[in-house]
Amino acid sequence: MDIVEEKQGVIHTFKIKGRLDSNTSQEFEKRVFDVITNGTKSLIIDFRDLDYISSAGLRVILKATKALKREDGKIMLCAMQDYVKEVFEIAGFDSFLPIVSTLDDARRAL
Amino acid sequence: MGNPKKFSFTLKNDISELKNLCRQLESVGDALGLPRRFVFEINLALDELFTNIISYGFNDRSEHAIQVSIAADDGMLTITVEDDGIPFNPIERAKPRLPATIEDCTIGGLGIYLIKNLMDDVWYRRSRDKNVLTLKKKIETI
Repeated sequence: MDIVEEKQGVIHTFKIKGRLDSNTSQEFEKRVFDVITNGTKSLIIDFRDLDYISSAGLRVILKATKALKREDGKIMLCAMQDYVKEVFEIAGFDSFLPIVSTLDDARRAL
Repeated sequence: MGNPKKFSFTLKNDISELKNLCRQLESVGDALGLPRRFVFEINLALDELFTNIISYGFNDRSEHAIQVSIAADDGMLTITVEDDGIPFNPIERAKPRLPATIEDCTIGGLGIYLIKNLMDDVWYRRSRDKNVLTLKKKIETI
């Protein structure tokens, strides 16, 4: 998996590419929590180039969302491929995680 | 409907084998002309099962082989996963309920929940000192 980070004003964006599974989720979790620990309160995770996610990936997204909520921060998830979005839907996560269509939508919502 | 098409491969009990699982399933998908979504779904189900087996199924530090067999017959894909770990039925673990709010949401059992939702049928048996899990999924052609 490749992870690219971008900072635009107060918004920190993670662009994740490839497969987010038990093999790669630890690295992603570390990168996300480094940013949260450093005080970032507005996070976007751009799923455009993510081909695959398992429950290990969902676990990181959930942990990050909870951590940000405690700090009065906000997370937005955007640009998911159909298959990836389906995993969020089966898990029931789409009912409480903010998922939007495009990166621009995510920026506007923060 | 002719002879069933069969495939088999072995994975070691190491999380890095998820890459190998993905590669193997892509080649099965190519050989059978399976839709991408279908390959994604069986990959996810087997990923969750494999991750469960290697997390809870072995109580030593030795290398173990996990045998995966796949047969396609009459529009049905049948996958069998065998390991020589301790008697362990992953699908019997606590049944999660879907969370209504983020505060409710815990992640335990989610992998098994995904397996049950992605497959049409899943059952476990202990046979000759092995755990045998059989998963069935109807092949969707579109």
